[in-house]
Amino acid sequence: MGEILLKNAWVIDPISGINGEMMDIAMDGGRIVEYVSDKADVIDAEGFLTLPGGIDSHTHTSGTKVNFGRYMSPEDMRAGRTPKKGAMHVTSGYSVPTTYGNSYKYSALGYTSLVEGAMAPLEARHTHEEFAFTPLQDSFANVLFDGNWGMLGAIEEGDIKRAAAIIAWTISAVKGFAVKLTNPGGTEAWGFGKNVSCINQTMPRFDITPTEIIRSAIEANELLHLPHSVHLHCNNLGTPGNYTCTLGTFDIVPDLNDTRQTLYATHVQFHSYGGSGWSDFCSKSEPIAQKVNMRPQIVIDMGQVMFGRTTTMTADGPMEFNLYRLHHDKWSNHDVELETGSGIIPVNYRKKNLVNSIMWAIGLELALLVENPWQCLLATDNPNGAPFVKYPEVIALLMSKKYRDAEFATVHQDTGKRVPLPAIDRELTWHDIAVMTRAGQARALGITGVGKGYLLPGAEADIAVYPIRVDDIDPAQQYEEVIKGFSQTEYTIKRGRVVSRRGDALVHGENTTFWVKPNVPSEYDMTHDERFKEHFERYYSIRMSNYPVQEEYLHRNYCIRTETDLSTTHD
Amino acid sequence: MKVTITLWDRDNPLIPVEAEMITPDAFFSGEEIIIAVGNRHMRLDGIADIHIEGEASSAAEVAIEIRGDSARFKRVGEMMTAGSITIEGDIGMHCGNFMSGGSIEILGSADGWLGREMKGGEIICHGDAGDYCGAGYRGGRKGMRGGSIEVVGSVGDFACEHIAGGEVIIRGNTGDYPCAEMKGGTVIILGDCSRVCANMSAGTCYVYGYADEMIPTFERIGCVDRDGLQLHHFRGDVANRGHGDLYVARYGYLS
Repeated sequence: MGEILLKNAWVIDPISGINGEMMDIAMDGGRIVEYVSDKADVIDAEGFLTLPGGIDSHTHTSGTKVNFGRYMSPEDMRAGRTPKKGAMHVTSGYSVPTTYGNSYKYSALGYTSLVEGAMAPLEARHTHEEFAFTPLQDSFANVLFDGNWGMLGAIEEGDIKRAAAIIAWTISAVKGFAVKLTNPGGTEAWGFGKNVSCINQTMPRFDITPTEIIRSAIEANELLHLPHSVHLHCNNLGTPGNYTCTLGTFDIVPDLNDTRQTLYATHVQFHSYGGSGWSDFCSKSEPIAQKVNMRPQIVIDMGQVMFGRTTTMTADGPMEFNLYRLHHDKWSNHDVELETGSGIIPVNYRKKNLVNSIMWAIGLELALLVENPWQCLLATDNPNGAPFVKYPEVIALLMSKKYRDAEFATVHQDTGKRVPLPAIDRELTWHDIAVMTRAGQARALGITGVGKGYLLPGAEADIAVYPIRVDDIDPAQQYEEVIKGFSQTEYTIKRGRVVSRRGDALVHGENTTFWVKPNVPSEYDMTHDERFKEHFERYYSIRMSNYPVQEEYLHRNYCIRTETDLSTTHD
Repeated sequence: MKVTITLWDRDNPLIPVEAEMITPDAFFSGEEIIIAVGNRHMRLDGIADIHIEGEASSAAEVAIEIRGDSARFKRVGEMMTAGSITIEGDIGMHCGNFMSGGSIEILGSADGWLGREMKGGEIICHGDAGDYCGAGYRGGRKGMRGGSIEVVGSVGDFACEHIAGGEVIIRGNTGDYPCAEMKGGTVIILGDCSRVCANMSAGTCYVYGYADEMIPTFERIGCVDRDGLQLHHFRGDVANRGHGDLYVARYGYLS
């Protein structure tokens, strides 16, 4: 991590307001600095497109669920294998690769930070161990709270501050980063063989509805001043006609934060379906996108589906069971004590299948119809919609109407009657793509403060240089060049070190796990709360003192401390 | 073109050899034949004498003969499309993986995974074959899809697992679970077997010997006469909503 000077970089850095300038970037000690001495190593970027390191705000690369996907799909391990090469370990797997496989492939695409979309708190140790072996990306973990009995009990009592205190204790105990709700109410109901149909249905055992869970979690999240907003996987994923439920959910979101959104709704493609069944299934991306356009407090990610084989995995157990009833392939379901659940099944999205073709169109429509790129981020919910290696193709589809039309001609012939995609002419710009793949993520996650997502002095030196000369190619016509350019960086720089060059990882790397610790007043510290302790002793299979993840599971880590509004004087 | 490969005696004959390049296609194209002995890559002529006689105008005219101790040579004939391979002794695992044409004749016995996921062509094994003969691989949904396998001796467990097409004749006995998850094709077992056709969804299986521990979720349709022999006709696996046909000469359930 010595001095490096990156010369002749053609930079797009939306957060700093730089849109296409030839610059030299100086780095020292893992950070971007104003100047370096003559002794600095010089890298010539040759006028190539240079962006801040990519950030994936919702991906599944680490944890028990991903690992279960690995061992229930040995055939996936045959689909992509690479031998040991230089600093690179042997890897295998395509949709659920080994940890090194994920890390090297993400690095080749220019990604330097990953947010694990769903970590069951009870299984946090496993997730952190896998983070340690994903060496080329910094890691963040969304912590699942959808079925957390402690939090649900506090919400039932109407005690938001207690709910916030439980979130604060749990999130710092498991070294997590943000609050994730997956099918709130539904995943917990699944433990009793039930689900919730939408946000106003009361769940079994607790006398509350998903509306109350979402609203209370949002309020608690803002009381704790967490960097990220509540990260929501809406109810009713994948059901025809679910868009009304999604619109209803977006309607209940207040605007509580000046610096970022108040709700991050993930993989919205899976929640934008019209129709009353599979026979009249259609796209409802237009009302969803309109709603997002009208509500700046919401940020969504696409959850784009791409054709081919992949593995679906989510904490939404009942949804995966419904998927099993469609596919009749192997499947798994899992319950995590008082917290959440999960399910996994392998799928193959096919162009010949009308439903799959419509799903493919919806993701693109969302990205094109949401006017502000800061509000719709690029993700495939890796690997649910498609493995992340398809990102370059998604980018090319968004930048080229010609490519979309060419692909559209190959999907199921009836798709045109069910989706608005062919009528959309918008083509995204390089700047839009830079927003949707890094700057938007950094802002939505609230991590610009720790130096992520921009390239001014003081920022982390995470940089991706793509072999694309923006002035020489027209992305609307030469979409193949765009795919090629984004598939493999010329240089990926992580913390001031070249970690990947033309697809090969060069160093073993050492990543940082970011976690949050809200500073709660002593009366809200759950460590000394008799009721919480009793709840733990009575219902959990492990003791409360054994629950927190020790620091040795984290190796290198960075704690983001927040000040909270929990003090009693506010009452 | 006739290729004769005479293997030298090895210091440690137990070290496995990955020999997926021993195919008529590779010899026809004239590529360098690279194998891996344990973790060391080397040319085939580093462990064998190779004698080539005559010319070939296509891979179909290449006949390979392997002499010597080939019991630890794996993946011989993998992906072959034409031509023939004759193995004078025993052969290691994965012989004829994915083959789509041509023929393999094994004068000795074969190890596991003989003809795994093969699509076409012909394999004759004069000795016994190991487990997973004609099967799919770990996690796969389809085993052998076409072509034919004949084993003169007996085979191990899970023979023809996931088989989806082609024809297999086993003249001896099979181990446990032959034709598990069968989806198509025809399997003929002249000897005895146990727990045959578990979870089958389609395809046809004949057992001329004794089928032990029959799966209880098969529906008995009646009797048919085949080659002068009365066979019980079953349909199933009912538990998998299957429509496979299972014919057995004699059978018994787990008591």
